[in-house]
Amino acid sequence: MLEIARYEAERRRRGTVALTVGLSILSLFFLAFFPSMADLDLDAYAEAFPPAFQEAFGIQALGTIEGFLAVEIYQFLWLLLLGLYLAYTAGGLIAGDVERDRMDLLLSLPVSRARVLGEKFVSLLPVLVTLNVVVPIVIYGGVAAIGESLDPVDLAMVHLLSIPYLLACAGIGLVLSTAVRRADVARRGAIAAVFALFLVDSVSASSADFDWVGAVSPTYHYNPTEILVEGTYDITGAGILLALTAVLLALALVRFRRNDVGA
Amino acid sequence: MATIDMVELTKRYGSVVGVEALSFSVEEGEVFGFLGPNGAGKTTTIRTLLGLLSPTTGTATVLGADVRDESALIEAKRRLGYVPADLGFDEGATGERILDYHASIKGDTRREELLDLFTPPLDRQVREYSTGNKQMLALVQAFMHDPDLVIMDEPTSGLDPLKQERFYEFVREERERGTTIFFSSHVLSEVRRICDRVGILREGQLVALEDVETLLNRGGKRVRVRTVDDVAPEAFDIEGAFDIRSTGEAIEFTYAGEYDALIALLGDHRLLDVEIDEPPLEDVFMHYYGERGSDDGEPDAGTDDAVAQEVSDA
Repeated sequence: MLEIARYEAERRRRGTVALTVGLSILSLFFLAFFPSMADLDLDAYAEAFPPAFQEAFGIQALGTIEGFLAVEIYQFLWLLLLGLYLAYTAGGLIAGDVERDRMDLLLSLPVSRARVLGEKFVSLLPVLVTLNVVVPIVIYGGVAAIGESLDPVDLAMVHLLSIPYLLACAGIGLVLSTAVRRADVARRGAIAAVFALFLVDSVSASSADFDWVGAVSPTYHYNPTEILVEGTYDITGAGILLALTAVLLALALVRFRRNDVGA
Repeated sequence: MATIDMVELTKRYGSVVGVEALSFSVEEGEVFGFLGPNGAGKTTTIRTLLGLLSPTTGTATVLGADVRDESALIEAKRRLGYVPADLGFDEGATGERILDYHASIKGDTRREELLDLFTPPLDRQVREYSTGNKQMLALVQAFMHDPDLVIMDEPTSGLDPLKQERFYEFVREERERGTTIFFSSHVLSEVRRICDRVGILREGQLVALEDVETLLNRGGKRVRVRTVDDVAPEAFDIEGAFDIRSTGEAIEFTYAGEYDALIALLGDHRLLDVEIDEPPLEDVFMHYYGERGSDDGEPDAGTDDAVAQEVSDA
């Protein structure tokens, strides 16, 4: 078992390393700015943003290291950038192989479509795990280096709870990958979908009456600012995201089993 | 039980017909050539047999498994090898890695032996491969788990003549070992060299199912003659010769009669040059079916149905 997942993950190993190194360096770069910003009145600066913007990027307590990390690294890099990356990558998982004629060779092997789909999805786990193990260690070290301190449990949780969120983003990509014939369209569609959902969540959050609308978006159920600044963990949200991932996988499977490959 | 058995197998894409009501069998241990011009529906048939496309109506069994039953077909695929027409290998992976990958799923008891015969540069990335090298990698991949049935879609395209010879030799040896081989081609000469039986597909319909011998006898030879004197094309209008025409400097016709009669006729003229060649597949189609079509006094479109009817009655 897992031969397909192993192969796919191996093919992506170089990308995984590059992404991990890149995000680590970028995080350290952001952290290096923090001491020099301490002189500014960041809270007043944060207040100056319109409410929707504050919601979108979880701008709170920008003057503390927790608030700073939550905005600069987690809301931006993790929630938005990585969410889009996972959706994009998953968008190519099936459509990419179909388009490049790799799928008919793969399906000529004694493997079910469910196994191909499942293992391709599982092959995304190594990149998720690597990022969420290496980057927090780098950040923890970086925070110490600039003479600040951070609750290690909160830091671990902000990463742990990001996994269900990122899986849900990948799930959106996978559905598109089985629904659309061209890999490029699937990938771009996945990015557009995740970004649109992020906007829906951000805009609706600023209106008390329509706050519930945001719940359709995966971003609604993962809030790095809450975890880092307030130390509260939305376990229910993580559960919802895992359930959403399962539903998206099931949808993709139904679709993939029905598809003609190479028609 | 036949190794491949199609029953009224039909695949349509919307209103476009891929293949229409194919019914024929490939017997165990046979080398079966699936012949037809490009776009005739060969690849559609093969993809349906592999469960990649689901039949619109009808069905087929492969090694006893119904192609509509995924789990039965997966068991059958343990004993099946496949060479696709478009070789979709991971460009960035080495040949070695790809074989390892496929071996981890289906086994590779014969890999080394095959690599003595076919020699793709395994340590290089597939993106550096020539078409021939990719084709060799595909052949090793298809046979390495010692399958009972191998399905190949135009397997010799891209192989140089030397490698093609090796491939024909290899297919004959495989038949000796009892492997059933089903392959598509649009090259008549290779089909005649290695196949026991041939099915001809035209516009999605099976128009002939023959022993190779029979097919070639019907198809005849293409004869091209240059004579010293001016000879009217009518001089060659003997029993078995048809489609006689003058190209200016030479006379060409297709001949499906007795060879002695042809040689005797050629002996009557002083010749500058003579070529007796295999006809292109299109000509085999035309003469094989066109003739019968004119017997019925029917235009082209009706010909296929008439012949298909005859084939399925046989």
